[in-house]
Amino acid sequence: MKKQLLPVIAFALASVALGTGIALSQSPAVAAETATPTQTDPMQFARGAKAWANNCSRCHNMRDPKELRDDQWRAAMMHMRVRAGLTAAETEDILKFLQGSN
Amino acid sequence: MKTTPRPNLSGALWLLILLSASPVFAQSHADRIDELEAKTLAMAEELAILRAELEKERQAPDSEDMRSIRSESVAARQAAQNAEIAASEWKNSDSVTHLAGYASADYVSPENGNAAFVANFNPMFHFQYKDRILWEAEIEVEIEENGDTSMGLEYSTIDLFLNNNMVLLAGKFLSPVGNFRQNIHPSWINKLPSAPPGFGHDGAAPLAEVGVQLRGGFKIGEQSRMTYAGFIGNGPKLEGEDGEIHGIDTDGFTGDPDDEKVFGGRVSLLPLPKLELAVSGAFGDAAVVENDGVDFEGDPTRDYKVFGVDASYQWNNLDLRGEFIRQDIANEATSIAPEGGVWETWYLQGAYKFADAKWEGVARYTDYTSPHPDKSQEQWALGVNYLLAPSAMLKFAYESNTGLAGESTDDDRWLVQIAYGY
Ligand code: HEC
Repeated sequence: MKKQLLPVIAFALASVALGTGIALSQSPAVAAETATPTQTDPMQFARGAKAWANNCSRCHNMRDPKELRDDQWRAAMMHMRVRAGLTAAETEDILKFLQGSN
Repeated sequence: MKTTPRPNLSGALWLLILLSASPVFAQSHADRIDELEAKTLAMAEELAILRAELEKERQAPDSEDMRSIRSESVAARQAAQNAEIAASEWKNSDSVTHLAGYASADYVSPENGNAAFVANFNPMFHFQYKDRILWEAEIEVEIEENGDTSMGLEYSTIDLFLNNNMVLLAGKFLSPVGNFRQNIHPSWINKLPSAPPGFGHDGAAPLAEVGVQLRGGFKIGEQSRMTYAGFIGNGPKLEGEDGEIHGIDTDGFTGDPDDEKVFGGRVSLLPLPKLELAVSGAFGDAAVVENDGVDFEGDPTRDYKVFGVDASYQWNNLDLRGEFIRQDIANEATSIAPEGGVWETWYLQGAYKFADAKWEGVARYTDYTSPHPDKSQEQWALGVNYLLAPSAMLKFAYESNTGLAGESTDDDRWLVQIAYGY
């Protein structure tokens, strides 16, 4: 029990520490992009369209942007970020594309 | 003292002549004032007329229209503003809830035995806080042969989005070892009505885990990417039967009788956007905790290992995927079931969409080897699907199965399924 607690706590702490460490050391551009998604970036829609075409038919049939509302796409994209191993920046781009195409 | 210059008389004379020639000079002062007075009067009169006309305009009945048009346009502007605020609320509220999931209804007709209808239903919930937290959960509801409804928590994790490349999950999650269980098994995704042999309960692929998981991905240049997942969990339990290990139960447990955690993960490389190559595995300890259907305590722990390789590739209407996975339990002389074993399976699947991507043909070959010959199975599955919607499919399939003679694993089967994911 005692010896088992250690690796779990170490794993959790290490990943949080690593996470915040990377978040803090992130380039300002990426940090800004993930922090303020409402910021207007004229290229975001185009990047999102490309990332959508490249990533969203890998595991299942391509879902139509019109299937979901803007808020539903937010949750679905967070879910898919976890499943597909997308970066936060790509997730934001694809979300912008889906919200602009539904 | 200043000296006053003598006036130039001839200059003054010229000036006088010039001025007398000008008409202004000719007009008397009084005349001018009269004229200006007349002009001012005329202007005042004109102004009065204009004022009267304006007043008439204001009081005229059609000015009501003007006013209502004006107020309508103010209301429209307000409505547009409200709509914009409402739209941004849909997009930007801090918390979001989303209901998803999938359901299927099947008809299964085995070569020997009775054909039957089957139904199940998997609702799924997402609760999200900003871009920081997602709670994802899925409940699996199935109707059993005797009519009972069985319910299971397929997964439930709280996901913390740490940064651009890392997500920390805690709770019960689908095992990230291999690909079929975590990404392909939902009925609206799987292109055949059945899972490949070895990917079900007590099979070769681990199903789920309770613990913590760190996962995410990186872009490598413009085209390529890498994804990873690493976890620590309670690990599986072993079921003993007649002095043998009947199977490795990997449903995901909140207890850990062997008191040793399992560590594992998966790394995948995508050199091209639609080509994925992955390696996965896990190691730890396991112990027999159930024997001949009853709880069993005190059995020694033994080594548990999993190893998997999977790949997938999409090109136009073609979808190819394959996976190899094996679970390994070590021998343990002092155990109630001393002999360990290897549960191993692999499959290759090709699918092709045709007729405007409305139809899809699928072929899958699987070879599953269990330490128990009655469980081992070799299978060819062929199917035709009609795509009703991006996430709704009507599937018709035939399985040619080769197992131990006389066992259900040796029965060929017809399967029809309708599946819908939301
Ligand atoms: C790594 C495999 C994978 C990739 C890549 C993937 N998905 Fe999914 N997707 C899944 C799985 C698995 C489910 C079903 C989840 C479940 O049932 O637990 C799903 C479900 C969905 C759903 C249903 C709602 C939900 O959230 O479950 C939508 C919509 C969706 N995906 C859209 C997308 C989009 C858009 C992309 C591209 C960004 C994408 N998917 C990429 C595996 C994937």
